[in-house]
Amino acid sequence: MRGFGATLGLYEPGRGFLYRTAPAPKAVASLACAVAVIAWRSPTTTAVALLLTFGVLIVGARLSPVRVLRMLLPAAPVLGILALYQGLAQDWLRAFVVVGGITACLLAARALTLTTATQDLLDGVVRLVRPFRRLGADPERFALALSIMLRSIPYLAGLFVDVRQAARARGLERNPRVVVTPLVLGAVAYAHRTGEALAARGLGEGDLDEDPPDDRTGP
Amino acid sequence: MRTHPEGRTLLEPLDLLLAERRISVIGANGSGKSTLLRLINGLLLPTEGTVAVHGNDTRTMGRTVRRSVGFVFTDPLSQLVMPTGREDVELSLRTLRLSSGDRRSRAGEVLRRFGIDHLADRSSYDLSGGERQILALAVVLATEPRILVADEPTTLLDLRNDARVRSLIAGLDQQVVFTTHNLDFALESDRTLVLDAGRIVFDGPADDAVAHYRQLCSCAPLGGP
Repeated sequence: MRGFGATLGLYEPGRGFLYRTAPAPKAVASLACAVAVIAWRSPTTTAVALLLTFGVLIVGARLSPVRVLRMLLPAAPVLGILALYQGLAQDWLRAFVVVGGITACLLAARALTLTTATQDLLDGVVRLVRPFRRLGADPERFALALSIMLRSIPYLAGLFVDVRQAARARGLERNPRVVVTPLVLGAVAYAHRTGEALAARGLGEGDLDEDPPDDRTGP
Repeated sequence: MRTHPEGRTLLEPLDLLLAERRISVIGANGSGKSTLLRLINGLLLPTEGTVAVHGNDTRTMGRTVRRSVGFVFTDPLSQLVMPTGREDVELSLRTLRLSSGDRRSRAGEVLRRFGIDHLADRSSYDLSGGERQILALAVVLATEPRILVADEPTTLLDLRNDARVRSLIAGLDQQVVFTTHNLDFALESDRTLVLDAGRIVFDGPADDAVAHYRQLCSCAPLGGP
C-alpha cells in the first residue's frame, strides 16, 4: 500500500510556527477562510485567501511551494472539471473565484491536519463535543470516528492505486468493474478489520460502568 | 461452547480452564483456533454456554474483559489504526483517561520499553513486518492487560523477526495464549491444545501435543478437513 499521508490529510512531524500553534486557533482560522470565500465571493477575496494559505503553509510548516502544490494533486481532477465547467458555462473570472476558493479551503484544512498530531486533534474534538454529552453524545467515540475517517482516506487512496495497477497488470484497466468491485470489497474489509481491531482494544466502547449485554456470535 | 456463522458450527462444545502462563493452540487452517482466541477476548460470543475471564462473563462484561485481555492479530496492519506508532500507543492509552501530557510521556516509555522509540514518528506502512508486529504488541500491552491473546503473531515474519517476537513474548509478565503454525514456538509453551475440525483432540504438554499434531497431519488426506 502506498503512503498517501502527505497528500491526503495526515499529520507529519515538522517545524514551523504552525506546529507550535494550538489546534483551536488553527481550526478557527480554517473555518474563517471558508466563511470568507463563501460570504465575500470576489476575485480579491479568493486571491487573498490563496496567497494566505499558500504563504502560511510555506512559512508556518516550512514546506516548499512544490510540496504545497502536490497536496492538491488528489483533488486536481475534480477542481479541473469544475474550473472548465464554470469557465465555459459562465466566465473564467467566476471559475477562478469558485475553484480558487475551494483550493484555499482545502489548503487551510490541510494546514490543520498536517501540523496537528492526531491525538491533539482528538483532544480538541473531545473538548468541542463535551457540552453535548447531556444530549447523549459520547465525545471520545465522536473523536475516534473522526480520526478513523481521516485515517481511512489515505488507505482507500492507496487501495485504489493498488487495485488499478493489478487491473493494468492483467490488461483489464479499461473495465471499470475490475477496479470498482475489489475497491468496494477492500473498503468493506478494511472497515470490518478496523472495527474488530478497535473492539479488541476496548476502544470506542464508552465507560466501564456501561456494560450492557451483547449478542455477538460468529465472525 | 459453539458459534455458528451462517449455521456452521465452528467449535464443538468444550470445557476448558486456561490457567498456565503460556498456552499454545495448534491445528490446521480452519480448525477453529482463531475462533477460540476471539472467544477469550469477547470479540465473539458463544451461541451456547459461557466464557469467563477472571470471573467476568464475556457476554455481560465484554468491555471489562476486553480491557483485561489484549489481542494481537496475525497482520499487525489490521490493528494499527493511527498514522504513527506513537499515536497508536497514545490511542490505546486514551482508555485510561490520562491527561494528554501523561499520555504522551507514557507512550514514549512504552515505545522505549519495546526498543522501538526510534520508530515512534514513522508511518506504520513504512515499517518492516517485524517492526510492525512489535509495535502492535506495544500498542496492545501499553494498557497492561492481564492476559495477552495472540493469533499467529509470527506467521508473516521472517526468521529473525520471528525470533525477536518470540523472545519478546517469552519475557512478558502476562499470561499468553497464542495460536501458531510454528511448532518450535508451540514447544515453548507450558500447555498446548490441538484443534481439529472444531474439536480439541489433544490437550497437554507441548512436546506430546506437537507429536500428536504431526501424527494427525501425516494421517489426514490432502484437502481434508
